[in-house]
Amino acid sequence: MERAPVRAPLIKNLEFKVGLLLVLTLVLAAGFLLYTMYARGAFERTQRLILVTENAEGVQSGMAMTYAGFPIGRVKRLDLADDGEVRVEMAIPVKDARWLRQSSVFTLEKSLVGGARIRAFTNQPDDPILEDGAERPLLTGDAAAEIPEIMAQVQDILANVKAMTQADSSINQSLVHVKTVTERMAGEHGVLGGVLGSPENAGKVIQAVDRSNALLASLNDVSHKADGMLGKADQRVFGPDGVMDEVQKSVTQINAILADVRDSLKKADAILANGEAISADVKAATTDIAVLRAEVDDSLTKVNHLINEINRKWPFAREVEVKLP
Amino acid sequence: MPAMDSLIDLLTRRGAALLAWLRGWRRLGRFGATAIVEALTPATYNSATRSVVQKQIYFTAWQILPGFTLFAAVLSYVLIQIVVDTARDYGLAQHALEMSVRILVLEILPLLTALFVGLRSGAAINTEVALMIVHNEMKALEETGVDPMRFEFIPRVIGGVISVVALTAVASALALVLAYVAVYGFQFFSLPEFNRVVGNVFDPPAIALLWAKVFAFGLAVTVIPISEGLAAPADKLFFVPISVLRGMVRLFFVLMLVEVISLALKYI
Repeated sequence: MERAPVRAPLIKNLEFKVGLLLVLTLVLAAGFLLYTMYARGAFERTQRLILVTENAEGVQSGMAMTYAGFPIGRVKRLDLADDGEVRVEMAIPVKDARWLRQSSVFTLEKSLVGGARIRAFTNQPDDPILEDGAERPLLTGDAAAEIPEIMAQVQDILANVKAMTQADSSINQSLVHVKTVTERMAGEHGVLGGVLGSPENAGKVIQAVDRSNALLASLNDVSHKADGMLGKADQRVFGPDGVMDEVQKSVTQINAILADVRDSLKKADAILANGEAISADVKAATTDIAVLRAEVDDSLTKVNHLINEINRKWPFAREVEVKLP
Repeated sequence: MPAMDSLIDLLTRRGAALLAWLRGWRRLGRFGATAIVEALTPATYNSATRSVVQKQIYFTAWQILPGFTLFAAVLSYVLIQIVVDTARDYGLAQHALEMSVRILVLEILPLLTALFVGLRSGAAINTEVALMIVHNEMKALEETGVDPMRFEFIPRVIGGVISVVALTAVASALALVLAYVAVYGFQFFSLPEFNRVVGNVFDPPAIALLWAKVFAFGLAVTVIPISEGLAAPADKLFFVPISVLRGMVRLFFVLMLVEVISLALKYI
């Protein structure tokens, strides 16, 4: 079996190549060591912050504290003090310490997935800067602690949702009705069909409307005709040679007649007065004449009444009553 | 009592095999201890041994450096992408970088390097040593006053350890760069966040454990093949493949054992 002679200089630049690899390895190893030390903050000036909490579950050495999502310090070590409280010693790089003020609040949050997180909040940026070695409480908020309560509420909500989504639930039925109505609305008779429930009813309404339209049209005609007739009647009644003219003339004639009647009555009255004076002794005759006079008075009243009546209806007369002298 | 005889025979053979197996481990342990002591003795290093160490490093590390680097980079990038995508799907994107750095730099890349070197150079060393024994070269060397342990084997162990360390360092550095690029893209603004994560992963115990593991891997890939090759009987050429086979199985077993121990130390 042949083997290459061990010391034969077969390889070019053997020492250089191997030296290069060794140097590279050393640089990488030393560089990596220095880099991890730098990354762990070994070359950074830090200030101390002690966070005191009852339960530091989930907190580990090296864990970061974040401010506004940016890591500004890490947990250096954890101590369980004699009073049973956990003292978490944080190392805050001096250049990041300006974010922490006297009034800053520190919280420890445990989420369902992933580790715990320490977060810092600064509400008053004008406060004096947190001093080195400050001691602050670490407030804990546990997402898992609220789960039972949330679950109870969620169950209620789910029950309601279940009741709402069942096949015979009100919402479902309403939706079915809405669907029916909208289907009808989309049908031949549109929204009317939806409102009235069936195509027949909608048809009737449309027919009724059509008829009303026709009726209105004929009414319009009628009113036109009535207008014409009224105009003619007006002419007939109040126009020249109309009914009213004739009536006025007749009334004037009646007045003349009545005046005549009054004159003749005056004469009769005068005769009667003479007759009374002549036959004052004749008592029997007197009674008859008194009866006659009452009768004449009666007819005079009637005529007067007639004249009043006519004057009321046809207010053209000058003299309102007939007076007995 | 033929049955009794066969049982005794069986037990004798079993016992002998067990003893041989244990003897192999004892030999291995003794050789490994000697190698460490010799490697730490300054007198070991002279021009002759240095030359063997250089050659060993050249053949084991320099020759495969480009191919191995490329392979490690591709594997790293694919694994990082898988981890990052999966973490993002589960809403754990903030843990993706830490997870991929832990998987690659702390576990996979050292083991990958050791397997690569072991399968390539380990097998070659095992064969070479076994052939030297079979051809009685060892006796010849000893007769000429050359200590084969000092001038042949120890320099190979040293070269093997340095090679594994060098390859692991190159692959890990590359993996860190690739992890940054895969998670943050080509920009430098996320360096503080990256530094924080890396600083978190590589605390002093983790670095010490990583170094110890890589050294153990480097020792294993050379010490086991040499020790197994030395166990080959003289003048029996047919035994060489058996020797290599045994050496490779034992090497694989030891590499896995080291890995499991390191994991147990870290996470239990």
